[in-house]
Amino acid sequence: MSAETLQVLADVGKGKSTRGVLRVIILALIAGASIASRLFSVILDPWFNFRATKYLVANGFYNFWDWFDDRTWHPLGRVTGGTLYPGLMVTSGAIWHALRALTIPVDIRNVCVLLAPAFSGLTAIAAYLLTNEMTTYNSAGLLAALFMGIAPGYISRSVAGSYDNEAIAIFLLVFTFYLWIKALKQGSMLWGALCALFYGYMVASWGGYAFITCLLPLHAFVLILMGRYSTRLYVSYTTWYALGTLASMQIPFVGFLPVKTSEHMPALGIFGFLQLLAFLDYVRSAIPSRQFQTFLWLFAGGIFVLSLAALVIATSAGVIAPWSGRFYSLWDTGYAKIHIPIIASVSEHQPTAWPAFFFDLNLLIFVFPVGVYLCFQELADEHVFIIVYAVFGSYFAGVMVRLMLTLTPVVCVAGAIAISTILNNYLVAKTPTEEDQQAAEAAEKKGTKSGLKSATKPVVGIYSLWSKSLMVASMAVYLLIFVMHCTWVTSNAYSSPSVVLASRMPDGSQHIIDDYREAYQWLRQNTKEDAKIMSWWDYGYQIGGMADRPTLVDNNTWNNTHIATVGKAMSSREEVSYPIMRQHEVDYVLVVFGGLLGYSGDDINKFLWMVRIAEGIWPDEVSERAFFTPRGEYRVDGEATETMKNSLMYKMSYYNFNNLTLEEAFTSENWIIRIYKVKDLDNVGRDHISAAAFEKGLKKKKATKKRGPRVLRVD
Amino acid sequence: MLRSSPLLSLFAFLLCWGAALVSAVSTTGNRLLAILDDVGEKENYSKFLGDLESRGFQITYETPKSESLALFHLGERAYDHVIFFPTKTKGLGPNLTPQILVNFLNAKGNILQTLSSSTTTPNSLVSLLAELDITLPTERTGLVVDHFSYDTLSAPETHDVLALPPPVPVRNDISPLFSAGAPKDALLAFPHGVGAVLGPREQLTPILRAPNTAYSYNPKEQSEVLDASDLFAAGQQLSLVTAFQAINSARLVLLGSAEMLQDKWFLAEVATPNGGKPVKTFNREFAKRVSAWAFQELGVLRVNWIEHHLNEVTAVNESNPHIYRVKNDTYTISLSEYAYDKWSAFSLPANDVLQLEFSMLSPFHRLPLSLDKSQSTPEASVYTVSFKLPDQHGIFNFKVDYKRPFFTNIEEKTTVSVRHMAHDEWPRSFVISGAWPWIAGLGATVTGWVVFVALWMYSAPPTDKKNKVGSKKTN
Repeated sequence: MSAETLQVLADVGKGKSTRGVLRVIILALIAGASIASRLFSVILDPWFNFRATKYLVANGFYNFWDWFDDRTWHPLGRVTGGTLYPGLMVTSGAIWHALRALTIPVDIRNVCVLLAPAFSGLTAIAAYLLTNEMTTYNSAGLLAALFMGIAPGYISRSVAGSYDNEAIAIFLLVFTFYLWIKALKQGSMLWGALCALFYGYMVASWGGYAFITCLLPLHAFVLILMGRYSTRLYVSYTTWYALGTLASMQIPFVGFLPVKTSEHMPALGIFGFLQLLAFLDYVRSAIPSRQFQTFLWLFAGGIFVLSLAALVIATSAGVIAPWSGRFYSLWDTGYAKIHIPIIASVSEHQPTAWPAFFFDLNLLIFVFPVGVYLCFQELADEHVFIIVYAVFGSYFAGVMVRLMLTLTPVVCVAGAIAISTILNNYLVAKTPTEEDQQAAEAAEKKGTKSGLKSATKPVVGIYSLWSKSLMVASMAVYLLIFVMHCTWVTSNAYSSPSVVLASRMPDGSQHIIDDYREAYQWLRQNTKEDAKIMSWWDYGYQIGGMADRPTLVDNNTWNNTHIATVGKAMSSREEVSYPIMRQHEVDYVLVVFGGLLGYSGDDINKFLWMVRIAEGIWPDEVSERAFFTPRGEYRVDGEATETMKNSLMYKMSYYNFNNLTLEEAFTSENWIIRIYKVKDLDNVGRDHISAAAFEKGLKKKKATKKRGPRVLRVD
Repeated sequence: MLRSSPLLSLFAFLLCWGAALVSAVSTTGNRLLAILDDVGEKENYSKFLGDLESRGFQITYETPKSESLALFHLGERAYDHVIFFPTKTKGLGPNLTPQILVNFLNAKGNILQTLSSSTTTPNSLVSLLAELDITLPTERTGLVVDHFSYDTLSAPETHDVLALPPPVPVRNDISPLFSAGAPKDALLAFPHGVGAVLGPREQLTPILRAPNTAYSYNPKEQSEVLDASDLFAAGQQLSLVTAFQAINSARLVLLGSAEMLQDKWFLAEVATPNGGKPVKTFNREFAKRVSAWAFQELGVLRVNWIEHHLNEVTAVNESNPHIYRVKNDTYTISLSEYAYDKWSAFSLPANDVLQLEFSMLSPFHRLPLSLDKSQSTPEASVYTVSFKLPDQHGIFNFKVDYKRPFFTNIEEKTTVSVRHMAHDEWPRSFVISGAWPWIAGLGATVTGWVVFVALWMYSAPPTDKKNKVGSKKTN
């Protein structure tokens, strides 16, 4: 390659418009890559969302809104329209209708499957925009977009077919933050209103909207404490709060929560505080007096303290609902385990293990603090936002595995800032001269800026070509490893759907275990259409979606008592369970049994949670202690306790595979799913034990000589 | 009003047509199997069996030892009813094990079992009765005697032929099926019978109980002395004729004395010790009623149709909708009773009431259904109730659970969903008077804001320009 062609290539990147075109092409490629990396395997997972979307498409929006679902939570039913976040379904419904209007006949299922990858492309672009607000380097934005696109922490919730709220919520989160920064920087009512609009969309989509609801006021509060109150802050915050709260209250599931619950109080408090500050600011500008100022600041503080006290009183009096359990578990990781087992029983609500950070973020977790440090150097309003976000995001991600998702965007942004700064410093062909250095030193001496030491700018310039190339090369290697890691994690860890298990045979070939779908298909084809299936709630959505049969409890864990009832039925003796099952009109009981295959995610493994949840409601009838051996071990073998051996769950899983009130109806190929039919009452009025004994041909013992007085029949 | 589907009326037509062919027939079929030791024995029961045949039964006679005897053929019942006459064999063989007999009951077959003090009861039948919570005397040859109400003509010494008035119901809300229309001084002869003791199971009802002074003893061992601790049972605890009705309404009657059904006792006259004059026994009519009950000719109830609908003028009066909202609602059920050869309107026994439950997990309403004369016909009576649904959404059942002795079990469950109020079904805000201050406040705010904006836009700029410009720049 000659020097001329090199020159041509270098010139291409110099023009302003050429750079713009390049950026668009790169962004498009990043979006494409982020979509492509999510297509390793496609299986639709949260079946409920898919079912709801189908209902929406079939019956229209108003019927969806008023939907009473009588095929879940039997016999309570679920006011589904009022207890879900409709954003996801409405989004895919709208896309479906738009495609139909464009005469593209596409199945709603395909829209649902590809929604998450499509939105991940948008998230990458949103991350680009957000990062561009932080720094003047465009490369930082592109890097952030790339990181966002392929970071495993985000891919884990957005592979194709992972049709869950998070699929669109992360895009909305990042984009709302971008709009907030934009509004704050410009003090613009328009951007604030846009921010509120997307905040409303976010509220309609995901329960995690509370993260925004708390983070924006916190950012505002930190700015105020830093003495950075400005009309820009006032305009953007009040616009966002007023419009956003109104928007959020339109969602039936949210309703009046924004004015009633503690989670939303910081936003309201800061809103009031800002009004006060604006008023004082106006007064101060009108009457310039130092003493008066002090008095006013005292006044402001007094009001703040008073309103805080009012909040505390209102909470204790019950006017404002106290913090919900999920929030307590954010402060005290042991809280949920003791008080709300249903929350603790979900694996994604467990505290994060340290390796998970590296697993989900790889290289970014190292450069993330660097990015935050660089933000301290700049420390404009938007950098304060990144710092606040970083601190709280890290804390929450450490408390709950699931919240790794909310941390990922800020890690990508901060990491991109750090890496782009490194590359911008080292990837410069020009070597600084003596004059440059003197000029920089002079500038430093001249600058008499007080404040943080880190905020003073050091001399910029690398002399040695060797160090430049070493640095750039190692950075390139790190980035390559990052991409490889992301690909590996995505294809191995996050693309295996939960309904199909894959294992390796001794010769290395892949073996697919498809018991779940086999069992659901059996249910669909062999049971009455309104046969009620009792199972632990983990399988509720799948049974509802894939087998199309009513269930007692499902993954929408809105009624703890009902779940505890199922837990009690599972963990009690048959004599106790049978009346419960009769009362709830249960026709079949479904259990997951991993004993034959060594599959660890079975019901016996989750059994303690059933016991704990049932104990929470009926402490007199179910006791966790009774399931442990005297030495405190949880055993299912020969040394299992009597309570354990007699529990319905144990009997259905292990104990001589013979029940009195249930009869085996179906067992899948690998025994993972076992379905039992609940027997009817005995036709001639015996109990099931004597009926079973009679069937076996055992003779009834004649009570010839009765002890004690005769039992007389009274008619 | 939608009441019956075309299919149902066709079915009813066929039923009438079928009824016209045979003078009378049981509601569940007419294939009757009689088990006797010796087919020749049937001569003793010729009148009873003749009565059955005249009512349309086709009787097959078999001995327990018969190879061809089978209650089931290819998994289906081969007979609709079985009658056991006393047999001398101790076991009934592999074709009549208690398991098969219970399966026969489970398949809605009916059994009439007779006992006699002179023969032992086969093991198989004892086991069957034990499953139904009916206990027979230990030696299987208990004999019921009564020294106060025996037949003075045939058993002046042994007192083992009981002369009893036709049975009155044990409770006052039970229909008097077996005694209705009997002459005042009618007497039943109960010769050489066995009494049984019934457990507390609700499926069991005594049809005929022994008088207070009767007791059961073993004539071989206890002819001289009967120790109190060896007493099997006495008085009303001894059930002479017992009715059992399974959950699926299959019936079993245990008749303590087979001799009751013999021609001899159909024609005989009996007299009581307290000096009444001899009267012809009531046995023939009683035997007819007991066999008719056992073989589903008496006390059979049928649900003709069930209907529920919104009870509102404005609403679309759809019949039997699957989903309701909190509103007024009407439930109607039509019932008929069968007696020998025809369906007629079912009238509740005095002191009894038909109830409707509206339940989810537990009943939210339990209401008495009342007779609706306007819809009732001679063939069917219609019971109805209107009520307001509870303010609770969920999957509810309309449940009529009418289980009474001597009547077919009725357990009708109709599942409906009750939904919540839709978003546009609440009254609008301007209808609610309590909302008017808020609406007024809203209006005031809007007006105020518009006025303020108008004033702001059209008022002249202030003369002191320096101050204004400065404040705008800070934005």
